[in-house]
Amino acid sequence: MGDLVLEKLSIRYGRRPVIVDFSLRVADGEMVSILGPSGAGKTTILKAVAGLIEPVSGEIRLDGKSLAGVPPEKRNTIMVFQKPLLFPFMNVEQNIAFGLRMKGIAQGEVRRAVQDILALTHLDGLDKRKVHELSGGQQQRVSLARALVLKPAVLLLDEPLSNLDANLRQQMRELIQEIQEKTQVTTLFVTHDQSEALIMSHRVTLLLDGRLRQVGKPQDLYHRPADPDVARFFGGTNFFEGRFKDGFLHTGFGVFELPVVNGNGLPLTATIRPEDILISATGDFELEGQVERSHFEGMATRLRVNCRGGHLVVLTGREEFFPGQTVRLRLPAERIRVFPPGTVETV
Amino acid sequence: MKPLNRTIVGGLIFLAVGLPFLQLVIWSFSNRWFYPALLPQQWGWRAWQYIFDTAGAQIVGAIGQSLAVATATAVIALLIGLPAGRALGLYAFKGKDVISVILILPVIVPPLCVSMGLHHWFIRLGLAESFSGVVLVHLTFCLPYAVFVLWGVFSNYNPEFEDQARSLGASTTGIVLRVMLPMTLPGLVVAALFSFLLSWSQYLATLIIGGGKITTLPIILFALMTSGDRPVAAAVSLVFVAPAFLALLFSARYMGRQSMMGIW
Repeated sequence: MGDLVLEKLSIRYGRRPVIVDFSLRVADGEMVSILGPSGAGKTTILKAVAGLIEPVSGEIRLDGKSLAGVPPEKRNTIMVFQKPLLFPFMNVEQNIAFGLRMKGIAQGEVRRAVQDILALTHLDGLDKRKVHELSGGQQQRVSLARALVLKPAVLLLDEPLSNLDANLRQQMRELIQEIQEKTQVTTLFVTHDQSEALIMSHRVTLLLDGRLRQVGKPQDLYHRPADPDVARFFGGTNFFEGRFKDGFLHTGFGVFELPVVNGNGLPLTATIRPEDILISATGDFELEGQVERSHFEGMATRLRVNCRGGHLVVLTGREEFFPGQTVRLRLPAERIRVFPPGTVETV
Repeated sequence: MKPLNRTIVGGLIFLAVGLPFLQLVIWSFSNRWFYPALLPQQWGWRAWQYIFDTAGAQIVGAIGQSLAVATATAVIALLIGLPAGRALGLYAFKGKDVISVILILPVIVPPLCVSMGLHHWFIRLGLAESFSGVVLVHLTFCLPYAVFVLWGVFSNYNPEFEDQARSLGASTTGIVLRVMLPMTLPGLVVAALFSFLLSWSQYLATLIIGGGKITTLPIILFALMTSGDRPVAAAVSLVFVAPAFLALLFSARYMGRQSMMGIW
């Protein structure tokens, strides 16, 4: 079992608050990622769950039991650090067996468990290798195997992919997902890479400046951000002001029929993702604009278009647009996200 | 480096280090050797016979005394140096600079001054002319080196290894024995060897604090050298150098294997 609850967790380094009132529940067998820029306090949360840092207030419960005062070695929550941290004076097998030895498990059983986990992490045959003979990806897999072999109730992964190159990252990502599905280990996964969080986790938690900003399914955070900061973190660039009047949203880019949010008549902030804007060189779209800049990004081209109400960033799969060209845009009303007053701090 | 170059460099190092020893070896096996002869006019075992027969008991006693003092000094230097080096290497705190100055003081101030000053206090405290007094005065010279070596070791030490071990279920004792000590072992060996050899070669401090009652090998060696019997002095010198030489061989072999990789 591994039902993890973090309740109103606050953590300080000296006098500096790092985590403020952080609450999260991770159900048994779930994979939840904590996403945020570096310095947001993501690792601190993992360390608190692992017992390596004491929170100043709040509670951490595992399967209903409080972990307050339980030392790290007795928690059954195992952390895998950003660096592999393999003990250089031990070979692969000894590294993986470290935790089992610390528990005083019999030699035969240790050997069996190590062989099983080597197979699971695709490290067969490497058991006698020295640490410095392994590649970066292999080291990271050994580090993961070393934690998994202990069958933890909660696995805490601290950016385990950040030291790997793009190709290895993809392989490791798939491996972690595969293992998580097989073992059904409750996993809390820290990353600063939004695509990694979206791809890998059942639910995503966004942490900005030590505070939880939104938690939900990857699609929720991507398509329905709770506030402009969340939208911005997921690549949102088009923010504009508007006002609801007579059931319509009036903005500098036009009038849109949208479900009314609270704050009728008040100035509101709205956003639309760059890839949701329709663009055409000749079409009959309502909004006229002029391409100011064009950047080819491989899968798509990013355009900055100057319109009557300001500029918009458009992401399109077509490559026929060029700076100076007059284009027509459409902002589909169903793709516009309006933030009710109170959710907006800085726009 | 190419094998040929390595041989040349190795040969030069051997010449620079080995030649003075060759001289000592020749001296110790000579019965008569006068200017301008290039080699002794008469070879013999007289010096070695003197060491093993006539002065055997005295020299064996001195070796035992030296070993005891140097071992005790090295062990205490490690026991104090390890936590001190760890604190200095891993943590930032006020007064770190002051501590480093205080640590280096006994090394900068001439040993005679340190020993004379301490002698006064040791007489009052009843430590003069005692084994513990000699170990204490040796520590004033050895401890700074041990702390500095271990400070360096812990500056390059990643304490996250300990967090990882703890998360994997290791107790505090488990972490010290299974993680910290193996990770810092090469540095610990260097610090211990440094302390041992420094203590082994102390003459002045031992003479002043030991007051002739604690007769370590250097005390005997100086007595023999001043007696003017060069072959005997050469033989004693070789006996004196032996542990240092063995320690060097051991550390070279050991360090070669570990290649300092333990310090992560």
